Amino acid sequence: MSQPPVPTTDATPVQDGATHPAPAVAGAPVVKQTERPHPLTPFIRGWIVFVAIVLSFGPRFFEGGDDGQGLARLGLAWIVAGVLGLALLAGGAGYVSWRFTRFVIDDEELRIETGVLFKTSRKIAFERIQSVDIIQPLAARLFGLAELRIEAGAGDSGIRLRYLSRTKSARLRDYLLARAHGSAARLADTVDGPARDVLFDSGVADKTLVTILPGALVGSFLLSTEFLVPTLVVVVFAVGAAVSGIGFVALGGIIPMALGVFSLVSRRVIAMFHFTLAESSRGLRVTRGLTNLTSQSVPVDRIQGVRLCQPVLWKPFGWWRVDVDIVGYGSNDREDSSGGATSVLLPVASQAQVRLALSRVLPGFRVDAIELTGAPRRARAFRWFDWWTLRYGWDDRAIVTQHGWLVHERHIVPHAKTQSVRIEQGPLQRRLRLADVHIDTPKGPVHAVAHQMDATAARELALSQLDRARAARETAGLELLHPGDLRPESDEERAVGDAVLAELGTGRDRFLGEGGESQVYALDAERVVRLYRTGHESATSPVVDQLRALYGFWARTSPPGGFGVQLPLVLDAGISHGRSWSIDRRFAGESLSEWLATADVAARRAALASLLDAAEAMARLPVPVPGFARLVGDGAPQSYGSLVELLTAMLAGAVARSHDDLARDVPGVAAAWDRLQRDLAQRNVTPTLVHGDLGAPNVYVSTGTGTGTGTDEHGPRVTGVGDFSPHTLQADPLMDLTGAVTFLELLGYEEAVADSEWLLGVAVQRYGPEVAHWIGVYRRYFGFYFSDTAELDPRTYAWCLRQLEGE
Amino acid sequence: MDDLFAPPAYAWQRLSPRYMALRRVTTLLVAPIVFSVPALVVGLAFDLWWLAAIFWGIAAVVVVVRWVLVGRTYRSWGYVERDDDLYITRGVLYRTLVAVPYGRMQLVEVASGPLERSFRLATVTLKTASAETDASIPGLDPAEAARLRDRLTELGEAQASGL
Repeated sequence: MSQPPVPTTDATPVQDGATHPAPAVAGAPVVKQTERPHPLTPFIRGWIVFVAIVLSFGPRFFEGGDDGQGLARLGLAWIVAGVLGLALLAGGAGYVSWRFTRFVIDDEELRIETGVLFKTSRKIAFERIQSVDIIQPLAARLFGLAELRIEAGAGDSGIRLRYLSRTKSARLRDYLLARAHGSAARLADTVDGPARDVLFDSGVADKTLVTILPGALVGSFLLSTEFLVPTLVVVVFAVGAAVSGIGFVALGGIIPMALGVFSLVSRRVIAMFHFTLAESSRGLRVTRGLTNLTSQSVPVDRIQGVRLCQPVLWKPFGWWRVDVDIVGYGSNDREDSSGGATSVLLPVASQAQVRLALSRVLPGFRVDAIELTGAPRRARAFRWFDWWTLRYGWDDRAIVTQHGWLVHERHIVPHAKTQSVRIEQGPLQRRLRLADVHIDTPKGPVHAVAHQMDATAARELALSQLDRARAARETAGLELLHPGDLRPESDEERAVGDAVLAELGTGRDRFLGEGGESQVYALDAERVVRLYRTGHESATSPVVDQLRALYGFWARTSPPGGFGVQLPLVLDAGISHGRSWSIDRRFAGESLSEWLATADVAARRAALASLLDAAEAMARLPVPVPGFARLVGDGAPQSYGSLVELLTAMLAGAVARSHDDLARDVPGVAAAWDRLQRDLAQRNVTPTLVHGDLGAPNVYVSTGTGTGTGTDEHGPRVTGVGDFSPHTLQADPLMDLTGAVTFLELLGYEEAVADSEWLLGVAVQRYGPEVAHWIGVYRRYFGFYFSDTAELDPRTYAWCLRQLEGE
Repeated sequence: MDDLFAPPAYAWQRLSPRYMALRRVTTLLVAPIVFSVPALVVGLAFDLWWLAAIFWGIAAVVVVVRWVLVGRTYRSWGYVERDDDLYITRGVLYRTLVAVPYGRMQLVEVASGPLERSFRLATVTLKTASAETDASIPGLDPAEAARLRDRLTELGEAQASGL
């Protein structure tokens, strides 16, 4: 019997009893080090119960109301004894639960064992972790302890680890969140941040977005309708009671009201004190609380809707309050004071702060830019008090509804998050040809309702909303496959980027190139630094990891002579200051697209002919999974039954986005789409690796005369292929051949189109006349695939139109 | 006016006509029972039989109104399976049209209580992540209910999308 050494019955042992060997389970291969929460835990839990009792019964005792007299008769000594007894009991229960709680958090698993008589062991897969919050009740905080609360899936009660030291809980939180996002972090690698302040909690790499100053919080509270209305009622009651001389009776009405105001103060001011919204490497994080300090992660991808509120007196100050629907947090349809998850994103914020927060929640969405439609005048009959505030509108991202005058509310629901759509109409509304449209979202503060719309418009809105929701859902799955918006870097982002580059030993002056997801800087002759854009961490980290795995796979399976072209290799990767970066092997030679513009025709054509060799080399690369598949991106690798299924799925996102543009610009686009489907269905091919974007910018060329390695005497030739991406598939080798030939037309140099035609001739000569037909088919495929570039890149869009019209 | 609640380019599927019979039975049972409880309490315990009479009077009105509206209530129900979503309409005075995309369905439930069973009827309920999605279809033939359940589950799986 290897009973671990445990502290004796003393409830406040002083030694650190953190690690004990676990009792060996028969047959268990490895005996893990399990841990207990901090030994001060029972003491603190007893103390919390003590304070709770004093707070809830104390006022009654001292108020001397009817109950108070009853309690007072018992005698002070008995009450004190009772309270102490209860506190001791709670402390005892806390001790037992502490004594029998053990947990393991290491590189392999997250496991918690609890229970005295009925032992429970819960093991939670890292990927299932939804959020990790840190809560510090006042008593725990005074001792530098914190509760770690782990949520794993909706409907799950979650795990509460009470209590751990503050630094430890923060370190475990950062680690668990990293693992939850699929990153292969190791516990030993996570570092303790700078000594944490008692008042604030910020992760190592957090960047503060918004801090609410106490003055603004208190001021906004005093001006809020929720506070003023009950306060006014209390005052009116009190004055009325005093004047009429029935003061004592009126107390019955005033006391509950006053208690309500008190609870409002505790929820709106005390719980929201020092409210800080920060951007961490794993989404947003909210830290708040005067007595209980709560640090909560807000998983942005799980936000289902946003509500903006403005009580009428906030208007002169331009203040707004921001709440969000978070799926799984649904049971908290309120701002919670007990330290649980909150739906509040910002308790009070200026216009600019709201915009900043929204830019993180719904990137690229501008709520002010949406054109709103009001309710018809006849809606006055129902909403005489606020009919002029009823508005609705939408853009391609989200739908917005507004209503209210005393408290003006705006509800924003991204189309992709629409659960269902309802039209409702009462008998009087029918008379007036009015109807309400509800956009249903999961439980939470957001209820997007377009009130009192004209009946025809209501139907139109409901039906079109379903279409928008469907398009958005289809896109959502594929969104990550496309580079995000190329918004310019803000000053802050630039500063962070500078810091990361300096840390890695390079700088802005060694810039090599950039794409939609990352920028590349030289590090030395052998290596480059790739710095991913902000706002893409959560999106790119699976991509980064997948690419790293893919490159590693090829490095391991490489034949002695290589694959004929140099492939990328990720040497190291990480996150600092909230930015993902990686160190990649530097390619020999230079970028083909830049070189082509300067080379003469003979050199160009020699290099281009070897581009076809590179396309062949792609097709010879070992493939990691069987069949047709998407290899990189969210949910990848994902296999498909046939070529046409895979390619249709690849096109879905782009086409959903470009649908309107294509319908306008390409006559007969539906027929072109059907024809492409028919053509692809006839293609019979064994799946091979497809780079997906084998254009000159992603290809490296070595000139025979240069000093680069791997060159030979035959003049310039393609020696490297980089930038595998979410475009990378297991599909038809002719796709890369098509890319090699046709993407040339997109280059800016004078004879680009002529070179493309010449290269097509070479391809036909090499592979037979049938190839020309399939290049034509894949031209149309890429025409659809890149068709969502109308705004971002009009040149590419024009190229797409030519591919689709040219049949 | 009916246009507002008509499905685009499809015709409504109606409930089983037996639903009308079920509705009549529930009309006769529910309101009298619900109102008899307070009526008997005030009558027997406080001897306020005039108040009890008022309760029973209300019950009688409710029964008559519901009885008269049985046909219209039955006709107000309708559902249609479109390519990507299910439409349900209902209500005589307060009318509702719900559209639930298949991709958003989390579970499909078939329920049949003792009363429904005696009329060979079943209710199909669709659940999404939103509690406000109030999409249930009562008064279905069991075979139709089973068909609908299987079809909806199949479509739901095919079009499922994460939250």
